Amino acid sequence: MAKTYDYLFKLLLIGDSGVGKTSILFRFSEDAFNISFISTIGIDFKIRTIDLDGKKVKLQIWDTAGQERFRTITTAYYRGSMGIMLVYDVTNEKSFENIKNWIRNIEENASADVEKMILGNKCDLDSKRQVSKERGEQLAIEYQIKFVETSAKDSLNVEYAFYTLARDIKAKMEKKQEASNPPGGRSGAHQLKANEPQRKPTSWLSRCSVL
Amino acid sequence: MSTSSVDEIPDQSKDLFTQDGVLLKNCVGRPVTDLNSIGMLCIVQNADGTKCVEWRPNDLITIDSDTQDQEWAVVNTVGRRQRTLSGNMTSDYATLRARIIKIPLEELKTFKVTRNNQQMQFSTKQGVWQTTFYFQHGNAEIFVAYLKNHVKTAKTRHDRNTYVVVEPNVESQVLNRSFAELDIFTENTTDVVWNLVSNFKQRPYETTLEAFSKLTDIVYYGNEGLNGKRDVSEEVADLLTKSMSAMEDATTITKNEEYEVVSVKPTLPPRPCIPRGTPLSTEKWDALQDKDGRITEVEGVKQLIFRGGVAHSIRQSVWKHLLDYYPWQMSHSEIRAHQKKKTEEYFSMKLQWRSMTEGQESRFSEYRDRKSLVEKDVNRTDRTHPFYAGDNNPNLVVLQDILMTYVMYNFDLGYVQGMSDILAPLLLLLGNEVDSFWCFVGFMEKIASNFDMDQAGMKHQLLQLQQLLMFASPDLAQHLAQKDSGNMYFCFRWLLVWFKREFSHIDIMRLWEVLWTGLPCANFHLLICVAILDAEKDVLISKDYGFTEILKHVNDLSMSLDVDRILSTAEGIYHQIVSAPHLNDQIRIILGMEPLNMANSAHSGNSDRQEAGTSRTQTNGNETRTNGNEHTGPFGQDIDEVMYQIGLDMNF
Ligand SMILES: Nc1nc2c(ncn2[C@@H]2O[C@H](COP(=O)(O)OP(=O)(O)OP(=O)(O)O)[C@@H](O)[C@H]2O)c(=O)[nH]1
Ligand SMILES: [Mg+2]
Repeated sequence: MAKTYDYLFKLLLIGDSGVGKTSILFRFSEDAFNISFISTIGIDFKIRTIDLDGKKVKLQIWDTAGQERFRTITTAYYRGSMGIMLVYDVTNEKSFENIKNWIRNIEENASADVEKMILGNKCDLDSKRQVSKERGEQLAIEYQIKFVETSAKDSLNVEYAFYTLARDIKAKMEKKQEASNPPGGRSGAHQLKANEPQRKPTSWLSRCSVL
Repeated sequence: MSTSSVDEIPDQSKDLFTQDGVLLKNCVGRPVTDLNSIGMLCIVQNADGTKCVEWRPNDLITIDSDTQDQEWAVVNTVGRRQRTLSGNMTSDYATLRARIIKIPLEELKTFKVTRNNQQMQFSTKQGVWQTTFYFQHGNAEIFVAYLKNHVKTAKTRHDRNTYVVVEPNVESQVLNRSFAELDIFTENTTDVVWNLVSNFKQRPYETTLEAFSKLTDIVYYGNEGLNGKRDVSEEVADLLTKSMSAMEDATTITKNEEYEVVSVKPTLPPRPCIPRGTPLSTEKWDALQDKDGRITEVEGVKQLIFRGGVAHSIRQSVWKHLLDYYPWQMSHSEIRAHQKKKTEEYFSMKLQWRSMTEGQESRFSEYRDRKSLVEKDVNRTDRTHPFYAGDNNPNLVVLQDILMTYVMYNFDLGYVQGMSDILAPLLLLLGNEVDSFWCFVGFMEKIASNFDMDQAGMKHQLLQLQQLLMFASPDLAQHLAQKDSGNMYFCFRWLLVWFKREFSHIDIMRLWEVLWTGLPCANFHLLICVAILDAEKDVLISKDYGFTEILKHVNDLSMSLDVDRILSTAEGIYHQIVSAPHLNDQIRIILGMEPLNMANSAHSGNSDRQEAGTSRTQTNGNETRTNGNEHTGPFGQDIDEVMYQIGLDMNF
């Protein structure tokens, strides 16, 4: 059986309701935009496999509901995620201010070394802009997180954002592997071969291996 | 066999199973005039816990209404309706009651099924068939299957159609018997017990939970033709001891002597296939109202709606009643006055936010936040439906206005995502702002706990769903628990908006109106979940779906579900559950039935330890108390903690 991918990364989209998380994911997975999307209730995920420096990387991207009330449920899905996109809406000041709360939320519920990235979405709506690009950059520097402005509508920087986050995760992982595995040894815990027989799940990684 | 009189019938007796259309062919000691009358054959549990087979003539059924429990009414909708219509007790009442035939299971010696399974005979004395019944509709198979849940039988060697009762009133006795005496081990018992032991070490919470369900569900099935008791093999006994000590080792478990590990899988009685009825028609609806438009037969109306829903042409008026906007008993003129009052009330609340100036708004952030939440969601609600499609659609403005007015109506709750999904079908059907608002209020009244700030209501329902599934479909429940999905979070969307996202507009109207009746039991919407999941059971288990695949599979069921089939399955499951011999208080409480063990449910030792939703969550300690003195088992903890542990804490 052919290997369908070399790595499987679990990513997560979080941010206030209506900032465009589902739209960003839709753009990335289907390359489409739909003005009349429905709000997210509960949780869902989409899959896209990308090619990263010769490796096939399967991205499993989880989309959560933004409203605060549902956070007790949605945070249950933070575990095991390796990268998180923090999304705000450049036309909505409040969603920008809330990024700090979302970061705190991650610190409490996700693993400490999760890769993060801040996205200022809807940058096509320049006339309604409330948050300047500079403020976004400033915040990113403050938290030492990468930042980019995106538009799910105009397909701006969405690909770039996911590739960047995935590349950072891959780099971090390979570095870890080198440190713990002698060269030439069997692949480490994070590398997963798709054709490996199903084992008793020990981490979400192997559990997702048949997807 | 005894002939009963009025005072002999305890009022809390309960029909566990009923079969309509059963003809009394013969009965020793009865006048000929009683014979050949049509009636209903039931398995009844008396108030004192004893059970009997009971036959009631139909003409009695049409009078006796309120002493009977609700459940059987489902089987006999028409009969029930007539009953309450005629209502008054006649002087013949006692005479009619005397015609009831009761066969206490304790006295039952043999029964046999003959004539192509259509005839059933009972005997309480060796060698005499005292009563003979003829099943007009269908055959006696299902009745026998249910009866065999309550008595242990053996088939006689010479006549395969004759059953000898080996032990009556099975489950009450089982409870008193010790584990070793139970003759429940099947060939692969060793595996089952061993799995329990090894699982326990790795996953104490889940395993305990599973073990719990087995304990509390102790059931003893009559193994036909099996007389003498098999000994528990030494090996098994040994394993069992190990499992006990494994439990002792776990800090969460105390008092282990209280726990008996029973590895038999309790099975439910066969699932009756109950066809859906036809929708409540205009003619029927008109006939149900008196000349002033009052509806007195509310229960009857609800029964009809439960069976078949409502014809689309009369939905507008029926829904207003179902959603408690129009009281059933109001006459036309009273309704007009009521409507006027409600219209004024609506517009005064609407004015409250409409008259807010920009300046006020700018200094009222909480209001602003809610307004923008509503706006965002209204723009994302059912936009593919023609009624809400397109730019500047005026219906979106109405949606927005109603939801904003609701914020003023219930500012504490405010606006929560999901509410626009609840409102959209109402406005679509009713087309009128005021009516839609008040119907929305009525619907919200039924599901307000879904929108709790701390989501305690949702979590509680998810836990109850897990418990129901463990009872109704234990294989699946166990599979889910093994795949870290025991918290049922993947059903969150179903429950939050009552399946709105899973069905088309047409189908959701049908599903909702049926659920609004509150029949046949409390939390029937959870049985809808069980029905959907049960249909997917084979896929989920055979493909060994894990955490992510389960979520995906369930999410992808959206728009591919058959509403009538699901309703019928859910009702079938309901009957399976309530007639299961191992039906326990935990499940009874979820379904809104009186718990049998009142003392245990009356006080809840752990309720004060729960921060949220105390009144709703207090029942979760029951099983623990039934089995042990200390409520430190999984159900004795805070719900949050349990949800977390059964599903998420394991193996991440
Ligand atoms: N102009 C513009 N509109 C966008 C963009 N991204 C999303 N939107 C719109 O913003 C609204 C909200 O987008 P969603 O993707 O549903 O938002 P979300 O973050 O998933 O919201 P929740 O599911 O409620 O948490 C929709 O009406 C989208 O059409 C964008 O890049 N540009
Ligand atoms: Mg979304």
